[in-house]
Amino acid sequence: MTQLHDTMVEFVKALRTANIKVSPAETLDAVETLDIVGLEDKGFLKNSLSLVLSKTPEEKTAFEVCFDRFFSADKFGSNTSGSQQSNDAPVEDDAFDDENFEQEGSDDAPGGKGGMGGGQGGGEPGDESGEEIDFDPLSPQSDLGQLLLEGNRGEQMLKMAEAGRKVDVSQIVVFTQKGLYTRKIMDAMGLKGLQDEIGEMQDEGGRPEMHLAGRLKGARDQLREAVRDYVERQFFLHADESGKELREELLRKVKLSNLEKRNFKDVQEIVFKMAKKLVSIHSKRRKTFKRGQLDIRKTLRNNMQYDGMFFDLKWKSQKVDRPKVMCICDVSGSVSNYSRFLLMFLYSLAEVLPKVRSFAFSSDLGEVTRLFEQTKLEDAMAKTMRDYGNGSTDYGQMLSDFKSHCMKDVDSKTTIIILGDARNNYGDPKSEILREVYDKAQRVIWLNPEPKSSWTVGDAEMKKYAPSCHQAEVCNSLTHLERVVANLLRVAT
Amino acid sequence: MAIKHFERLKDVETIRSHFEQQRYICSLEIATAVFLAYHLEKPVLIEGPPGVGKTELAKTTAEMLELPCIRLQCYEGLDESKAIYEWKYGKQLLYTQVLKETLGEILDGAQGLSESVAKLHDFGDIFFSEEFLEPRPLLKALGEKESCVLLIDEVDKSDHEFESLLLEMLSDFQLSIPEIGTIKAIPGKKPLVFLTSNNTREISDALKRRCLHLYIPFPDAELETKIVEARVPEIPPKLNLQLVAFIQELRGMDLKKVPAISETIDWARTLILLHSESLDAELVRQTLNVILKFQEDIETVKSELQGVTNRALKAS
Repeated sequence: MTQLHDTMVEFVKALRTANIKVSPAETLDAVETLDIVGLEDKGFLKNSLSLVLSKTPEEKTAFEVCFDRFFSADKFGSNTSGSQQSNDAPVEDDAFDDENFEQEGSDDAPGGKGGMGGGQGGGEPGDESGEEIDFDPLSPQSDLGQLLLEGNRGEQMLKMAEAGRKVDVSQIVVFTQKGLYTRKIMDAMGLKGLQDEIGEMQDEGGRPEMHLAGRLKGARDQLREAVRDYVERQFFLHADESGKELREELLRKVKLSNLEKRNFKDVQEIVFKMAKKLVSIHSKRRKTFKRGQLDIRKTLRNNMQYDGMFFDLKWKSQKVDRPKVMCICDVSGSVSNYSRFLLMFLYSLAEVLPKVRSFAFSSDLGEVTRLFEQTKLEDAMAKTMRDYGNGSTDYGQMLSDFKSHCMKDVDSKTTIIILGDARNNYGDPKSEILREVYDKAQRVIWLNPEPKSSWTVGDAEMKKYAPSCHQAEVCNSLTHLERVVANLLRVAT
Repeated sequence: MAIKHFERLKDVETIRSHFEQQRYICSLEIATAVFLAYHLEKPVLIEGPPGVGKTELAKTTAEMLELPCIRLQCYEGLDESKAIYEWKYGKQLLYTQVLKETLGEILDGAQGLSESVAKLHDFGDIFFSEEFLEPRPLLKALGEKESCVLLIDEVDKSDHEFESLLLEMLSDFQLSIPEIGTIKAIPGKKPLVFLTSNNTREISDALKRRCLHLYIPFPDAELETKIVEARVPEIPPKLNLQLVAFIQELRGMDLKKVPAISETIDWARTLILLHSESLDAELVRQTLNVILKFQEDIETVKSELQGVTNRALKAS
């Protein structure tokens, strides 16, 4: 069954590139499932594997697409039902690849289809025009030549898949690599031997030799076509998504201010993904709490050593640990991009951060919490920008507004995040208010999108604000943002 | 795993027809899940919106196989003493009292401390033994002689720690009790485990990895019609089609809580009670509170009632 199992491993690899998390244990399960379910019924197999391998509704959708692409074959059932499961597996494996191939061939390149006919024709010289049967057709000497002219289709496909595996065709990342991989696979299949042979035949120049050389050439060209299709299929299976991964990786690191509008959608996706990760790590974090219901069981156990006298009491109650966050965002032109993502991030974390209050300001501070709750993220962003954005920045005004409106809500459990470049247009920084907040709140975190070296240059007041912050950090990429928020959740007590 | 009536799990179609006999109409996916759960000996994690028959699936499976169904309802704060086992503390305390009194007898004739300790060791200790063990659902499920269906309901309501507690049970069908050792399921009689989740929070990957994952969505119109027919056999086919079409349309609307299958069935029963033969706007208006549970939703739907009803009538 090993061939069949290899196919499953390949399939799992394809799933992983499609962003479906599959663990090795699940791969084993899938193999076991395959043994139980068999290949006769494609729909059944698909349902079964979907149960074993994909674990969220989104993954299930992705799974279906992947499955159809991987096992693309309308003749799946008919071919395999002929060779029942009890037959040796490689045959069935061929069937997979084989059909994959044929479908692609007929879809994309009619030449590919013809190629198959030619390849098989080698096995039955009767196909060739009548007069040529007179002499004994020479049989080719090189491995590839033999395979092409005498081997059956299945073997050829198997060989191709093997070669593909050998050159790691699943590592293909960008479109332009297609040619490279096609050549690599051809080489791995023994193209050189075949070329030499064709050369030799042509040199010798006899009629049978010339005939054979012609046939070999034809077969070679058809094989090349086939390999190209194969690579293309692999590209769609593997690269489509890994290309995306690459892009995401890049976007995570790029400065938020350099992001272009067209990338916003991707970034949004990443933000949600990151937030989701944080949520699943941190939701339901608890710590033991020194008050609450008596845990009889634990107490009894613990006090048995004292002859049943209860003097070491154990308590049951636990406390859910969730920080209260107030987030103040500078939305003046220069930093608006950052605040956009910070707000987005915090909002996606709603499950672990139920009490996020958001404020936006250029000069006057305004609360946007309700706006964010009621409207869609994009609209809310746009409205915030319209109402508060693009004025000249005044941190002093913001701080005094904050003091008059929100100071009463700040308590020792509140974390305050301020996002801004602290460029105050040479106005009064009023850092004493921040000091007051600092004394009252649990934590004050300042996220500055500018590099540390420019924190004190020009009208930047970071030098005055920083001492009144528990933490002042550079934050200008998604990775930074993720780190800050993760810390926020971890340190919160 | 040879359990009673295992032949009813022979293949997917058999499962489906047996489910149908139990008046549980299921899709191919659901039957496949039950099939694989048995043959791979793996638990099934069922997710989906509330009221699509997640819990019902486990119960029906139990009925179909004529096995006992042991149910563990999860909630915040559920811990091992309620899910796995508990010691009978009262009896344990009594036992120590008894022991104290017989201590003299046991140590009778012992010379020196070391000999006494040796004698004490020889004395069979049953303080931590199964005699004093109070099995809770999970442990009970392992001990069932004829296998059983174990339903761990709304696992998302439990705490993170509890999830980890389940892992041992789910992957190896065994539980460890520190004082006694590991208790394993009777070979060949492993329980069929179903976990349900309403997705109020993300289930951990570790747990998901050990389970088959079944997502039950709202059924399509055809399937829902069949379900209503199976559950409320006395419903006229025409009314059935109409009300399913109506519900299907509601699901497409922007509601706080869309009606699930259970609501459809309730509604069907209501309409039967009212001796209705066909839907009309007035009837719907009066019975809307059966299918919609929020005043807001009722208001939303009422405003479009006539249109939706007309379309539902046309669909039948």
